[in-house]
Amino acid sequence: MTDLILQALYSGLLQGGSYALIALGLALVFGTMRVINLAHGELVLLAAYIAYTVESGLGLNPAWAIPIAVIVVSLTSAGVYGIVSRIRKDREINSLILTFGIGVIMTNLILLIWKADVRSTSSSWLQEAFVVGPLYSMRGEAVFFIVSLLLMAGLWWWLSRSWYGRALRAVSSNREAAKLMGIPPARTELVSFIVAGMLAGFAGVALYSYGVIQPAYGGALTVKAFIITVLAGVGSIPGVLLGAVLLGVAEALTVTLASSALQELAGMMLFLLVLFVMPNGLMGASRRRG
Amino acid sequence: MRKITMAASLAVMMTVMAARANAEEFIVGAQLPLTGTLARVGAGMQEGVMVAADVFNKGNGKHKIKIVTIDDESAPAKAVAAVEKLASEGAIAITGGYGSNNISPASDAANKLALPYITSGGVDDNLVNSGRKNFFRINNTAGYEKAVLGTLADMGAKSVSIIFSTKEATSDLANSVQKALAAKGVKATAHSFDPAITDFKPIVNKIRLQDKSEVILMVGYENDYVGILRAARVLKPPVKALIGVWSLATPKMAAEFPDLMPNVYGTALLPFPATFDTADGKAFAAAYKALYKKEPDYLGQFGYVQSMLLFEAIARAADKGTVKKGGVAEELRKTDRETLIGRVQFGANGDNLNFVHRMAQHQGKNIVIVWPASNATGKMVYPGKPW
Repeated sequence: MTDLILQALYSGLLQGGSYALIALGLALVFGTMRVINLAHGELVLLAAYIAYTVESGLGLNPAWAIPIAVIVVSLTSAGVYGIVSRIRKDREINSLILTFGIGVIMTNLILLIWKADVRSTSSSWLQEAFVVGPLYSMRGEAVFFIVSLLLMAGLWWWLSRSWYGRALRAVSSNREAAKLMGIPPARTELVSFIVAGMLAGFAGVALYSYGVIQPAYGGALTVKAFIITVLAGVGSIPGVLLGAVLLGVAEALTVTLASSALQELAGMMLFLLVLFVMPNGLMGASRRRG
Repeated sequence: MRKITMAASLAVMMTVMAARANAEEFIVGAQLPLTGTLARVGAGMQEGVMVAADVFNKGNGKHKIKIVTIDDESAPAKAVAAVEKLASEGAIAITGGYGSNNISPASDAANKLALPYITSGGVDDNLVNSGRKNFFRINNTAGYEKAVLGTLADMGAKSVSIIFSTKEATSDLANSVQKALAAKGVKATAHSFDPAITDFKPIVNKIRLQDKSEVILMVGYENDYVGILRAARVLKPPVKALIGVWSLATPKMAAEFPDLMPNVYGTALLPFPATFDTADGKAFAAAYKALYKKEPDYLGQFGYVQSMLLFEAIARAADKGTVKKGGVAEELRKTDRETLIGRVQFGANGDNLNFVHRMAQHQGKNIVIVWPASNATGKMVYPGKPW
């Protein structure tokens, strides 16, 4: 039983890292603009299909797709911002409808371009076992878990140290006051969408490298990212990691100790429990202080 | 003599004109998921439907079939709307449908409109046990179960771990197989999983450390199989074989996941490379390759068989002048025909009485039929696993 639980904790940790990488972009945009980008999952999926194209078309390891995926997805994300920024009234609500529509269009474009088949990497290197004592994972999972941690650290550093990072936080805190301080809100928001797109680019390549992709998968990715964003506490980057890992571990333990059929339910129970006890999310308080 | 020649010419002309007057083009509706979660299987079935229409229209000579397809977007409400729209556009019957939860309301709508509905996309037994008068299907859970149990019996497996999706069709099959195995004294441990999960390592680890079964049986879909096989490759449970059901022993899976498939079993009607020894099979394969420039797969085969049976029933009903009097369903009920999937006869509830699937194994670049012995194209490699 100890072996089982240890493996569940390890699998949950890695799965959490993957969830965090997917959720980061959504959390960033939500935190800065209060816009829930319901096309975020499709942006991640677009990057995953770019990785598939690079691997199947050029015969390269999917990791080589990262630069292309980051550029294409961040430009697409900027395009999404271009549309969302045209909303003049009730941006929170209208952006939901708009980005949902963009997500549907993207899903169908992906379906048209790449067809409905299940895709996943054929790289043996990424799929081989990475064994640490009694713990097993795919090499791809371990690699992208580390990438995920590095990206989160980089994002945290960028938000707290760089001018644009601080500008983002200022716009998030009070858009009008930020404008009076000489911060251009529109440009700052565009930057947040571009950075979210870059993160989605990494997430998509990671997803393709150890998971399975299908055109209709984007919606599920958005839902997972949204749950983690709310669980984390709006705008909290460490909260995203904590929330994602908690979710991953709760799911893996549920599979091990009960049934995998209850995994999604366990995740939702955790989500509701945290919100009931801590309405601002896991790291909501620290955000308020910031 | 001149009068006789004129009379003969007139008779020939009248015969031709009469034949033209009787020759009709019938609209058949195809309600299929071409987008959404079932897009791949829907597209596969549509290929079979279109091939059947092509073969029928070229070979029948008298009546023509026109297919009007509506995408149900893998959603039950859209499936109902699709059937109603097809009826309004003049469809006299429906072929298609995928997923029991979509087929059930769609076939109810067809039933209300008195349209025959034929499918191979739903194995839930409620579909045939709910009193739908015009519902027909050519495959069922029992046929899959026979193939799985037969293969496990040939292997002499004493313990089996069943990993299954909690969707309706997969749960039905898994529970049914588990009961049948338990009745035979085989230790069968079931692990259900939510269709949304992607990491199967915790389940496979339970099999590795607790179940220690001889065989893993996977009852899910392509994305699940890839996840389970990946997890098994990492954890290497001490099993002798991995068996799956639909969408696994296919050329597509062999081509897309060459490292995961070796020695894996799945249901398949055809070996790969496909060989057809009947005139019907050859016509199907030739038309399929001409239309789609690829080897036919099982989805196309099922879509072809169900549609061809429907078109033939329409033609017979048209010849009798009963198309608008319930003749198509009547003719389908009388069907008794050898097809690409074996003999098809419909029982009173519309289910195919004779359906038995076959089991195949990925061996090298080929897919070899290994069960039943009467259809086998090679011997099973057992023990055999992908790693």
